[in-house]
Amino acid sequence: MEKREFHVDNEYRYTRTGPGRWIVSHMMRHPLFPIVVVVTSIINNYAYGNIQLYVGHGFDVITKAGWLAADLLVVVAFIAGSAITQGLTGVGRNIAVEFLAQRLERESREELYGSLLGKSQTFHGRQRVGDIMARATNDMHMLNLMFSPGLMLIVDSMLAMVVPFFMILTINPALGLVPAIFLVLLSLTLWDYNKRLTPVSIGQREQFGLLNSSLAETISGIEVVKSNVQERYEWNKFTGNARSFRDYFVKQGIVEARYWPMMAFAVCWGAALFHSLLLWKQGTISLGQVIAFMGLFGTFRFSTFISLFSFNLVQIGIASAGRILEFINYKSEMDQNSAGRGAHIDGRVEFRNVSFAFDENPVLTNVSFTAEPGQTVAIVGQTGSGKTTLTRLINRIFDVQKGSVLIDGVDVREWSMESLRSQISFIEQDVFLFSLSIRENIAFGVQDAGLARIETAAREAQADAFIRSFKDGYETEIGERGVTLSGGQKQRIAIARAFLTDPRILILDDSTSAIDSRTEDEIQQAMRRIAQKRTTFIITHRLSQIRWADHILVLRGGEVVDQGSHDDLLARSGDYQRIFALL
Amino acid sequence: MGFILDGLETESYDRQYSDRVLVRRIVDYFRPHVRQMVMVAITLTLNSVAGTAAPILISRAIDIISRRPDIATISIFSGAVLLLGALAWVFNYVRQKLTAEMVGDVVLKLRSDVFEKTVRHDMSFFDENPSGKMVSRITSDTQDFSNTVTLVIEFLSEFLLVAILGIWLFTINWWLTVILVAMAPLAIITALSFRRIARRVTQQARRATAVINAHIQESISGIMVAKTFRQEKTLFNGFLENNRLAYRVGLQRGIVMNLIFPVMGIAAGVGTGLLAYAGGIATRGAGGMTPGNWYLFMQAVGFFWWPLLSIASFWSQFQDGLSAAERAFALIDNEPVVKQIGALPVPELRGEVEFRHVRFAYNDKEIVLPDFSLHIRPGETVAIVGHTGAGKSSIARLVARFYEYQSGEILIDGRDIRSLDLADYRKYIGLVPQDPFLFSGTVADNIRYGNADALEADVLAAAAHVGRGDWLKDLPNGLGTETGERGASISLGQRQLVALARVLLKDPAIFILDEATASVDPFTEAQIQEGLMGLMKNRTAIVIAHRLSTVKTANRILVLQKGRIIEEGTHDGLLAAGGHYAELYNTYFRHQSLEYIESFGPRPGT
Repeated sequence: MEKREFHVDNEYRYTRTGPGRWIVSHMMRHPLFPIVVVVTSIINNYAYGNIQLYVGHGFDVITKAGWLAADLLVVVAFIAGSAITQGLTGVGRNIAVEFLAQRLERESREELYGSLLGKSQTFHGRQRVGDIMARATNDMHMLNLMFSPGLMLIVDSMLAMVVPFFMILTINPALGLVPAIFLVLLSLTLWDYNKRLTPVSIGQREQFGLLNSSLAETISGIEVVKSNVQERYEWNKFTGNARSFRDYFVKQGIVEARYWPMMAFAVCWGAALFHSLLLWKQGTISLGQVIAFMGLFGTFRFSTFISLFSFNLVQIGIASAGRILEFINYKSEMDQNSAGRGAHIDGRVEFRNVSFAFDENPVLTNVSFTAEPGQTVAIVGQTGSGKTTLTRLINRIFDVQKGSVLIDGVDVREWSMESLRSQISFIEQDVFLFSLSIRENIAFGVQDAGLARIETAAREAQADAFIRSFKDGYETEIGERGVTLSGGQKQRIAIARAFLTDPRILILDDSTSAIDSRTEDEIQQAMRRIAQKRTTFIITHRLSQIRWADHILVLRGGEVVDQGSHDDLLARSGDYQRIFALL
Repeated sequence: MGFILDGLETESYDRQYSDRVLVRRIVDYFRPHVRQMVMVAITLTLNSVAGTAAPILISRAIDIISRRPDIATISIFSGAVLLLGALAWVFNYVRQKLTAEMVGDVVLKLRSDVFEKTVRHDMSFFDENPSGKMVSRITSDTQDFSNTVTLVIEFLSEFLLVAILGIWLFTINWWLTVILVAMAPLAIITALSFRRIARRVTQQARRATAVINAHIQESISGIMVAKTFRQEKTLFNGFLENNRLAYRVGLQRGIVMNLIFPVMGIAAGVGTGLLAYAGGIATRGAGGMTPGNWYLFMQAVGFFWWPLLSIASFWSQFQDGLSAAERAFALIDNEPVVKQIGALPVPELRGEVEFRHVRFAYNDKEIVLPDFSLHIRPGETVAIVGHTGAGKSSIARLVARFYEYQSGEILIDGRDIRSLDLADYRKYIGLVPQDPFLFSGTVADNIRYGNADALEADVLAAAAHVGRGDWLKDLPNGLGTETGERGASISLGQRQLVALARVLLKDPAIFILDEATASVDPFTEAQIQEGLMGLMKNRTAIVIAHRLSTVKTANRILVLQKGRIIEEGTHDGLLAAGGHYAELYNTYFRHQSLEYIESFGPRPGT
């Protein structure tokens, strides 16, 4: 079993060794549909070819002297019958394809989502939400399009060449000559066209992206542009980008205009007419058969146009599958470790020569300190100095690369993930609340908590009063459909959420400041209350938090440059004095 | 082939221009390309003629050859069909190439016009229009417009082909042609009613997709919370439910969308059958239609049927294109509100600012400054404090001439601000907004923005001057550090430092600062504060203050309420007076003071 932080029950196993195999294994979960698609497609194309054959037949009927209307009616009945058969099998084929495409999208989305939930924070920290979303939405959709209409059109346009080709051979094997030449020419010209079009269309797409992002930047920074009188400069930049986009646009237009497959068709069309009339003159075939042949040859026109479009869809689909699979296959380095230590945490936290790096970029170097049970540790430092990363090593959101983190004297890697995380709570800087009611958000960690407990937690967190001020109180929805909360309000709800789980160790990333003194008072009270009786780490910019912490860690560039109490630091650190000098 | 399904997601848009005005505006853009337009029209016609001539020729060939079956006739006709096909290809090539060039040029011109007009607008315009919307008007709408032009040309080409063939067929047998053409309304009605259903299921599918995507987005954004509280299972179950719904709706949509072509195929096939019979009857007797022409009618079904279907979607796509063009033109036509009455050069500026009974409102609803007067001496530092909405930013922005005021006067060095050359005047303004904006590029590029010819040494000196230059050491590559899109690669505190250095390099006479409310770490904060002190020296400074240390150093504090100055003086004086300022102090500044910090005392229990 691969390492994961979360497992889905009764998972279906797909082949994940490559995008192609992965898609096939998804498809083979529903083997009936591909079979239906191929069978109905063959009948469908055969029926369409039959229409052409009967038109030719009709020609032979009406050119015979003294022909009977009844004879023509028979032909007409066959034409109409073929048309109906063609339509019905077309419906069957399309529905089967649609089932397949939608199933595939649903099941691979489920697979991706389940695997994303199980990934470690190293993964989530590295991937931007936008990038994950692009794969979960856009690439998923491409996968769907690859089947419907992509693969459907490919199957169909292939069969729209193969089936008529065989039908032509049944009229007379000699007629196969020009179609055979055409098919060779078609593949050559299509290959060539694709080769010329790809770089240009990629270039055009990229240039459009550049045009857009550069323009978005100018508009967002318009105040700076104006106050520095740079309108002309920005205009030059924009028109420069727009001009190279225009060049790509024209280049693509010319490549598309020079569509040699169509020329190949035009030439072969003339040649086919010549060849079939020649055979007719020799008496090998009837004039009606010439017409049937030309009709069947005409179906190639459809394939000439459609195949490239559908091949592109499939190419894009496979690339998308590759990107999705890359995420699914990303190996998580952490595991639930269910067999690990499960015990009550006292709250002694020790870092021993801890080092940590993201992709070779050192974030923390040789960090050592100790926090006794119940102490409050303030972590101070600039953005990017490693404050947040340091705290995430405590509940194993990340694992150390060198040294060790010990809780109650035991390495965190020896604790069971469940036991460890359930006793450590985290309040992030950008408090994240789900689009649920306030009650559900507070109870997120203890799903079965009763309202009384929730209200107590909210009161402790100084959140009860403002929650009650909403019309729906605790049932107020948060987010787009409900209220927008201020930063301070969100923070207090997060504190209530943490209160409810009554953690032994609390990590507070408190880098946002309250704009007014009253909110500040309330947040301070809430924090001081929750910091009681548990070991607390506070990442903070608040001087009052720093001032009164039991222990202060000063980080710079991933190293602890100083640590101690407020009085210690004030006595020996120049930088520290500078902060308080301004007050 | 998806043309019936195009333009389904058209959203309603309030049109302001009449179609005639709009078309005339569009034609204006094409006027410089008359020669190309004529060539396009000619090749388009030739292409259609060649396209119709081929099937006609084949049907003639069959009639003639059945009477005179010699190799020469067969060769001539086959050769002619081949040649016509090749010629059609060539005409089409020329037409597409010219169209691409022409459309490319027109769009380029349109884009640069729209951009030029847009950046010339004042800030009130940018406040009203979200930047994302504006970007899409300048790039995507112009793109949609160009697609429509191409679409119209393609449509004309198909239409012409059908028309030529129709006329030819009419001369052969008028009532057969009537039967053929009678299929048209049938096809269009079917296509239109189908589009109505398709539009509905498409909207449903879009909503379902939005729901599932929002769910994933929320889960990914909140993954830390889910992990900390071990609630992955809860999320997963919620996901399964939404995913099932998305599947059901998606399937429904897919099936509806996939029915149209087979159904249309049945209709076309049955139509062919009908025509085969009627045509067969028409060949009977003396003077009847020739078998070749019977065959021509058979082919005509294919020629008529599919182009007719595209008419159903053409109109809505065409309207889309017009709306897109209109949105672009609306940007061009919008007149800037800020109007200068003169363009007096500004050779130097002392930095004296005076408001005389200025009345200002962003819109008709709410007056921000009813009657505002203020005199700022050159070199004075003025801190403006007050609750949100008191009009603090408006004063600063009026000095930068970002907005137009309705009455009264604003004098700079005793001269009317409206009479100055705006570009000249703004060279003397240094502005730092709350969340300073950086362009992608290096830190040095950003400091230099607006002073492109500044020397490397000047840039370094400016940077080193802000907060003792310590912050440069904390940037991974010093001045060469990439700032990323909108400065996202460096911290908020560092962005502020860069913005301060940018202003310092510019060395303006008037410094306008909207102090950040968001907090940065205490070390960087100390650097910023020191940087500010340096900048405020020797120049006029107007500061919308949120920091206690800033108000303390100001020469004069203005307490603003509902657009009026209700108190002014120094920090100590005003605090002692115990009026509005003291109240504001208690609301916004008290928690920044040393007294407050010291008031807490050690935590209970330690």
